[in-house]
Amino acid sequence: MLERRLLSNVPWGMVALIIGIAMIGLTAVYSATYTAHGPSSLFTKQIIWVCLGITVMFAALIPDYHTVGRYAYVLYALSLIFLLLVAFVGKTGMGAQRWLPIGSFAFQPSELAKLSLVLALTRYFAEDPKQGGYELKDLLVPGVMLLVPLVLVMKQPDLGTALMLVFTSSLIVILAGIRFKTVMTIVVLGAVVASAVFLVPPVRHKIWKSLKPYQQKRITAFIDPSSDPLGSGYHATQAKIAVGSGQTTGKGFRRGTQSQMAFLPERHTDFIFAVIAEERGFIGSSFLIVLYVILLLVGVDAAKSAKDKMGTLMAGGIVSMLTLYVFINIGMAAGILPVVGVPLPLVSYGGTSIITTFLAIGLLLNIRSRRFMLFY
Amino acid sequence: MQQDSPIDIQKRLPLLAAFIVLFAIVLFFRLWFLQVVKGATYQELAESNRIRPIKLRPPRGIIYDRNGRPMVENVLTFDVSLVPEDAASLEDSIARLAPIVRMKPEAIQKALDDAEAVRNKYEPVKIVEEAPWEEVAAVEARQDDLPGVIVEPEHRRYYPYGGMASHQFGYIGKVSQVQKKQEQADTGLLIGQGGLEKVYDRLLRGTAGRRMIQVNAAGMKVKDLGIDEPKPGTDLYLTLDLDVQRAAEEALGDRAGAVVAMDPNSGEVLALVSHPTYDPNLFPRGISPKDWVKLSNDPSHPLYNRAVQSVYPPGSTFKVVVSLAGLDSGKIDPHDTVTCNGSLRTGRKVFRCWKRGGHGVVDFHKALVESCDVYFYTMGDRMGFDYIAQYARKLGLGSKTDIVLADEKPGLVPTAAWKREKVHEPWYPADNFMNAIGQGFLQVSPIQAAQMIGAVANGGVFYQPLLLKRTRNRETGAEKVFAPMEKRRAVFAPEALEEVRSALLGVTSEAGGTAHGAATPLAPVAGKTGTAQVIAQKVPGTKLTESTQDHAWFIGYAPAKDPKIAVAVLVEHGGHGGAAAAPVARKVIEEYLLHAGTKTAQ
Repeated sequence: MLERRLLSNVPWGMVALIIGIAMIGLTAVYSATYTAHGPSSLFTKQIIWVCLGITVMFAALIPDYHTVGRYAYVLYALSLIFLLLVAFVGKTGMGAQRWLPIGSFAFQPSELAKLSLVLALTRYFAEDPKQGGYELKDLLVPGVMLLVPLVLVMKQPDLGTALMLVFTSSLIVILAGIRFKTVMTIVVLGAVVASAVFLVPPVRHKIWKSLKPYQQKRITAFIDPSSDPLGSGYHATQAKIAVGSGQTTGKGFRRGTQSQMAFLPERHTDFIFAVIAEERGFIGSSFLIVLYVILLLVGVDAAKSAKDKMGTLMAGGIVSMLTLYVFINIGMAAGILPVVGVPLPLVSYGGTSIITTFLAIGLLLNIRSRRFMLFY
Repeated sequence: MQQDSPIDIQKRLPLLAAFIVLFAIVLFFRLWFLQVVKGATYQELAESNRIRPIKLRPPRGIIYDRNGRPMVENVLTFDVSLVPEDAASLEDSIARLAPIVRMKPEAIQKALDDAEAVRNKYEPVKIVEEAPWEEVAAVEARQDDLPGVIVEPEHRRYYPYGGMASHQFGYIGKVSQVQKKQEQADTGLLIGQGGLEKVYDRLLRGTAGRRMIQVNAAGMKVKDLGIDEPKPGTDLYLTLDLDVQRAAEEALGDRAGAVVAMDPNSGEVLALVSHPTYDPNLFPRGISPKDWVKLSNDPSHPLYNRAVQSVYPPGSTFKVVVSLAGLDSGKIDPHDTVTCNGSLRTGRKVFRCWKRGGHGVVDFHKALVESCDVYFYTMGDRMGFDYIAQYARKLGLGSKTDIVLADEKPGLVPTAAWKREKVHEPWYPADNFMNAIGQGFLQVSPIQAAQMIGAVANGGVFYQPLLLKRTRNRETGAEKVFAPMEKRRAVFAPEALEEVRSALLGVTSEAGGTAHGAATPLAPVAGKTGTAQVIAQKVPGTKLTESTQDHAWFIGYAPAKDPKIAVAVLVEHGGHGGAAAAPVARKVIEEYLLHAGTKTAQ
C-alpha cells in the first residue's frame, strides 16, 4: 500500500534529479539521431521508454522492498530463462545475439540479468549473515549464481555486460563483508590464473580465439588506437576527438560536427556521452557528472539509513551497479577505459536499459522512503 | 521476528562513497585535460578529420546458362558525383565541373536539389552516370580545383542479350523506401525487382565495402586511408540452355506467346520464353517515366511472363487428359469406334468437328492422331466432366507447378460444383462436350502444359520446375548444387500410357496427323496440337482479325521412345496449332538434340 506517510517520505529532490538527468539524455538522443529529414523515430521511441520508465519507477515504490527481496530468486530464474531464449531464438545485431523480438520491439535480457543478479545476491547475503565476514567456501553459492548468467552472456557474446556482472558482484561481496584473508586468497588465485592466461601461450591463444574478431580488435585498439584508425580504434579515436573538440563551452546543440557528421559510431547508445561532451563542452559534461555523483551519493545515503540488512545490501548493490555503469561508460568515451558496450544509465538510447535503470532507481527510492518504518 | 543489524555493512558504505568521488575526480581531470587543455588541438583534428567513407558496391553475381555461358553480366563504369558538404564553395565547384561534363550549371544544381530530399548528409549525388573516359580523366586530373567532386566506380548490370529471357531474369532497380527495411538495403542500392534477380537477390547482391578517404576542411582529398574490399555476389548457373533459349526466341519471332522446354527426367527448365519482351537494360540506371509508361500501358503486355503468369484454354491438347482418363479407367476401349459426320447433336445444339466433312469411322488411335472432336465429345459425355477433372488434377492442371518465379497462375479445372458456385448455373451436357475438347472453362498455363506432357513422357513423375542448377561463390569457389525435386508420382495403367504415347507419335508421323510441322529427321517426336478458340463461333463469311484469331498450342516431347526434352508452345492468336506452334517446337527440339551439352563457355 502506498500510504500517505510513505508518500511524504519519498525523497522528491532525488526524483527531480533523476528526471533531470533523463531530460538531458532525451535532448542528447534528439541531437544524435537527428536526420536530414527531421527528428528520428528513435527519439519518439525514447520518449515513450522514458515515460514508461518513470511509471515503472513509481510502481516500484508500492511493494515493500522485502516483498521484492522475496521474489528475487524468481526474477533471477526468469532472467536466466530469457537469456537462454536469446541463445536460441534471439535476434542478431552487430555480430552478437542479444535481443529477443517482442512484437516490433527488441528486448535485451542481459540488461535485466544485471539487476536480477544484484537482487538475488542481496537476498542470499541478507539471509546468510556470517560473523566476521565470509570465507571462500561461503562464496560457492553466490559464485554459481554469478557464473550461470555470466556464461550465457559471454556466449552472446557481450563482453560489456559480462564485465559488469563480475564487477557488480565483487562490489556486493565486499559490501556484504568478506574476510581479509579471503580477499587475499582470491587476489592470489586471480593472479595465478591471469599469469597462466597471459604467460602460457597456448592458454592465451585459446582465450584470445574465443573472443569475436571485433572484440579482439577493440582490445588491441585500446592498447594502441593508432594500430587501426579505420576499424576499432576508429570508435575510440572519434570519441576522443568529439569530446576534446567540445572544448570549454561546447559547439552548441545539434552543432557537434563529429556527432552530426556520423563520424561517431553508436552515438545514440554507447557513445552518447561523447555527443553531450562535444555539444555542451567541459561545463556541460562535468555538470552531468556532478548530477550523477549526487544521485549516487544519495543512493549511498539510502543504503546507510536503511533499517535492515536487506535494505542496506539492496541499495548498496544497486548503487554499485549504477556507479559502474556511469563510470565505465564515461571512462570509455573519455578514452581511459577500453570500448565495451555499456549504456549510460537514464541517457543512452535503448528501451530495456532505460526501463531496468528506472526500476533499479525505483527500488532505491523504495528503500529510502521506508527508512523510518519498522518491520516485524 | 528478524532484526538483522545492518551496522557491519554500513561501516563499509563510506568505501563506496569514496570510490564514487574518487572516480568522479579522475573523470573530471580527464575531461578537463581533453576539453580544456587539449581542446584546441582536438578542435583542429575535428576540422581536418573529415573521413569520408565512399561506399564500394560489390558486383552482383553473374548469371550463367547451364553450360557456363554468361547471360547476365556486369560492366565497370564510372560516375561523376558531388558531395555538396565538401565543396568549399558549391557555386565554384559547379561552375568548374559544368564544362568538363558538358552540362549547364543549372542542370547540376537541379540534380542536387532533386537529391536533397532523400539524401543523407555527405552522401554523394550522382551528376553523370557512366561518364565517358575523357570526363573521368579530366575530373581526376583537376581534383584540386573541384572540391566535393568525386569519381565513383560502379558495376553496372548488363543484359547482353537484351530482351532474351528477360522475364526470367527480371530486372534490378533502386530499392524503394518500403523495401529498404525488409530487404536490409541502404539508399541507392540496386536490388532485384522481378524474376530471378529478385528471387535470388540476397545471393546475387554481395556485401558492400568501403574506401576511406580523408578530406580537408575544403573538401579536397588529402589521402587514401585504405580500402575494405566489397565481396562480390554469388554466381548463378541456371538450367537454361543459351542455344535452346535463343532457338525458341527466334522461332517464336515477333508473335506473342510462350515457349517452355524442360528435361522431363529432372524438371530442369531448358528454355522459358515469353513474348513480347522488354529490354531489362532500361532498368538498372532507373527507367525513365516515359519508358515505364510505355511498357506498362502497352496493350501487348510486354511485362507479363506469359509462360507462368498467363492461362489459356488448352484446346485440343486437353484431349491427352481425356484419353488418359478413359484408357486408364477402362471407360474407353481403344477399339471402340465412333462415326464422325462432322458434327454431333445434343438436345437442340449442334457441335461441330473441326473437320467439316467428318472423319468417318474412328477408333481411339485415329481419333487422337487426327484430333477428332466428335470422338472426344462422345467420350466426354460418356465419362462426365467431373470424372475427367480428377485426371486433369492428377496431371497437374489447376495447381501451381511451384516454379520459383513470382505470380504463377494456377489455372482452372472446372467441375459442376465450381460452376454452380461461381457461374450460378447447373452443369449442362454441352459443358461436357466443350470442356472435353479443351474449350469452355478450362485454363492452363504454358508451364503447366509442359509439365503435364513431361509427365506423360516420363511415366507420371512430377518435378518442381528447376531454374537454378548450382551457385558458385566467386571468392571461395564454393559450389552448391541443386538436385531435381520430385513433387509426386501419378500412377497410370502402363497400357493406357503406351496407347496414348503411340497416338502422340502418330500425330507427327502418320497420315492425317495434325502436327507434321513438329517432325524432325533427328528423332521421332510425340505431341499434340491445340487450337484454342478465342471467340465461341465465327460468323460465316467474316475474316478473323488478329485479336479474334485462335491461340495455337503444341505440346510434345522427343525422342518419343527415350524422352530428353518436353516442350509446350503457345502462340497467341497464331491460328492453327499444327501450322503455328508445332514448327516452333521442332526448332527447339532440334537445337537441343543437336547441341545438348556440347557447347560450353569459350
